[in-house]
This record gives sequence, C-alpha cells and structure tokens, in this order.
Amino acid sequence: MQPLKIVITGSYSAGKTQFIRTISDIETVSTDYAVTLDEERELKRETTVALDFGTIAINEKLNLYLFGTPGQERFDFMWEHLSIGCLGYVVMVDSCRPGHFAETQRLMARFADITDAPFVVAANKQDDPAALPVSYVRRRLGVSMDVPVLPCIANERSSVKIVLLSLLKHIAAQHQEEHV
Amino acid sequence: MALEGTLQDMSLSDLFQVFRMGPKTGVLLLTSGAERGIIYVAAGRLIDAAVVSGPERTVLASHDEGVIRMLLWDDADFTFRHSPAVLERPVHIAHDSEWLVLEGMRRRDNPALAMPYHTITLDTQLQLSPLPSSAESGVSLDVNQWRILSQVSIAPSLRAICDATGISVDQAIRTVAELMSIGLVEIVPPAVPKSKPRPRLDLMTSPQGSMMEPVLAGARSGEEGPPMVGRGLLDAIMRRVRGL
Repeated sequence: MQPLKIVITGSYSAGKTQFIRTISDIETVSTDYAVTLDEERELKRETTVALDFGTIAINEKLNLYLFGTPGQERFDFMWEHLSIGCLGYVVMVDSCRPGHFAETQRLMARFADITDAPFVVAANKQDDPAALPVSYVRRRLGVSMDVPVLPCIANERSSVKIVLLSLLKHIAAQHQEEHV
Repeated sequence: MALEGTLQDMSLSDLFQVFRMGPKTGVLLLTSGAERGIIYVAAGRLIDAAVVSGPERTVLASHDEGVIRMLLWDDADFTFRHSPAVLERPVHIAHDSEWLVLEGMRRRDNPALAMPYHTITLDTQLQLSPLPSSAESGVSLDVNQWRILSQVSIAPSLRAICDATGISVDQAIRTVAELMSIGLVEIVPPAVPKSKPRPRLDLMTSPQGSMMEPVLAGARSGEEGPPMVGRGLLDAIMRRVRGL
C-alpha cells in the first residue's frame, strides 16, 4: 500500500494526539509517557515522546498516514525524521495559552528549515468562549495571509476534517502554482 | 477551561483588544506579587475593576484607577474565564479601554514595557492594523500620534518615519508603542519563505511502501523534499476526508 504522510505538529499540549485520535481510521498508536517536569504535569499527565500514528485509508491501495510529533523541544530530533517526504503539515496551537506562542514560532521556523511542504495553522480549543480569536493568533505567530489559520476543536471530527481539507486544498493550490 | 498566561506572554492592552474583538464577557483575574486584581468585562467593555492586597483584601484602587494601576504592572499571572453573569453587574468604569490604556501609557516611564514581546527599533516595519468593522473608538490622538500614523503606510521603517516627521527617536518609539497598545498599528510579521520547486514523485510506479517504516513514508530514493502528488490523487484524498 502506497504511503502518503501528513505531519501534525505544535507545541506541548496543543492537542496533536487528540487531533489524530479524532480522525484516524485505526486505534491510534501513541507512545505517551508520564510527564516528569512539574510545570508540564500541571498541563497534562502524559506526553508524546516519540510519535502518534493514525491512518486514513483512501482506497485499497492508498493510505494517508497522520504523524503527531512530540511537542517538547527536547525531543525535536524526531521532527526531521517525521517530516521527511510529508505532503504537508498542520501546526497546532492552543488558543488559550499565549505563553506557548513563542515556542510555536520557534517550531514553525524550525519546520520551515526542515521542509518546504505547505502547512496550515490550527488554532485549537476554539470551543472555549475565552479562547483568543484566530485573527489574533495569526498576528501573534506572524503568519502571512497566504497561509490558512483555521479555528479548530481537536475532539470534534467535523472540525478536524475542515483543517485537513484546508491543508489538502493549500497543497493543491501550491502544486498548481508551481506548474504555471 | 480559561485563557491563561502572564503579562509577559500577552499584555493587558492586547487582552483588552481581544475582549473588544470578541466581544467577550467574563472575569479577568490577575496576580502580581502581593497584589491581586479583578476586571469585569461585559460584551467587550470593561465595567468594573479593583486591586486588593494582603489577606484582608485591602482595596488599593478601584474602577478606572484600578485598571490603570494594573496597566502599570510589568508582569502578572492572569486567568480570564467566560461568565455571562457579568452582564448583570452595574457599570463602574467611566472610560473605555482605549482611553485607559493611553492613560496607563502616559503614566509609564517606559511605555514599551507594556508590550514586552515586541521590540521596536529604527528598522522596525509598521503597518496599520485591520480594525474590526464593529469597532467604535472614542480614542483621541495627540499631534505626534497623528503625524506618525500618517506615515505608517508610506514609510518602510521607523527610521524613515523619524526622517519624514523630524520626531526624535525616543519620542517616535514611545509614540509607536502607544499606537500599538491601542491597536492602531502593528509590526509587519516576517515573510514566510517561498517554497522551492520540488521533484515529482510518481506514486503510481514507485515501489510499494513498507507498513513497518511509517516514519519515512513518502521518502523515496533518498528524496527528502515533499512529494509532488497529482491533482487526481489529492482530489481522491479530499473526497475520502469529506466522507469521514
């Protein structure tokens, strides 16, 4: 079966694992371990140290693989391996944690170095009435207007579908641009 | 759930802008050392505030002065929770948040500290902020603010604005900080590098991928760039995702 790959990345506790769980055809393979740092434990008890892995079967011959990167920077050596040959990637950001924006910017810069693949930004936790608006998230992350920044609720299938479809349209548009 | 952070992550003036844009309704709690503050926000408008200290909760400032006192804090932890009940509270703040932010900036020795995650230099490029259509601004600008604002869309950098207006560097930085704080201008974000042309991966003829090597999925023949997939394949993936 031909593998195609989309990477789901983002800072710690942005919702990457949940995003993949919500849309994957299979029970996702997660390699979560107990969190060791106190400040991280306040956010979540377990964290992804290697990768999350889910699939969407396109047809009998094609599988779309979804890979979630480990969010903590001390595991960033994995990012390069995961991004090799990806069609595109989703940068997830927690709309309720402005303290994670700087780390997300560093991560976006690092990914831009690693791969030329198109990407979209998913502003997660938009179901919280206190969440920062998407336009503010775009401005704070310094994302240019040609990159989609989308509202996201990682545990809602319809929301995750919209993010993935937007990424695929963005990939298609970039391919078209390069052929003109 | 709540919006949480510190004023180093997000300044109070930015929070007020977000409340107006929402518009949000709820309670903003702040803690700075021994002082604690509370601001009630109803449909984006600040309606009441107080700063207290110590276990007896001695009131140090309230209403408009309470907000201004909090605007002078360089750092504090904050939590904003949505609360529709705030809409029922009486209004005790006379001025809108833009006026309060400007007043806070005027009382500061260094207004740039109000936005710690921005660095304003002579090479900083500025642009006018997109204002929400619903924004009703009662803000009044002084002469220097108008002069700088008039140059933002035509001058490539703060240095050019200083040259064009004759305003001193210190004054220009202070004024830009004020204009940013009330949401009229913003720093131009860095441009995202353009993608380089990519080699095409022929998905129909490449060898079957190994399910056991998913991490390297998509990488073939030493190729590390993103694969170029055909439009037909992308359409097939989109149809599948839509059908999920």
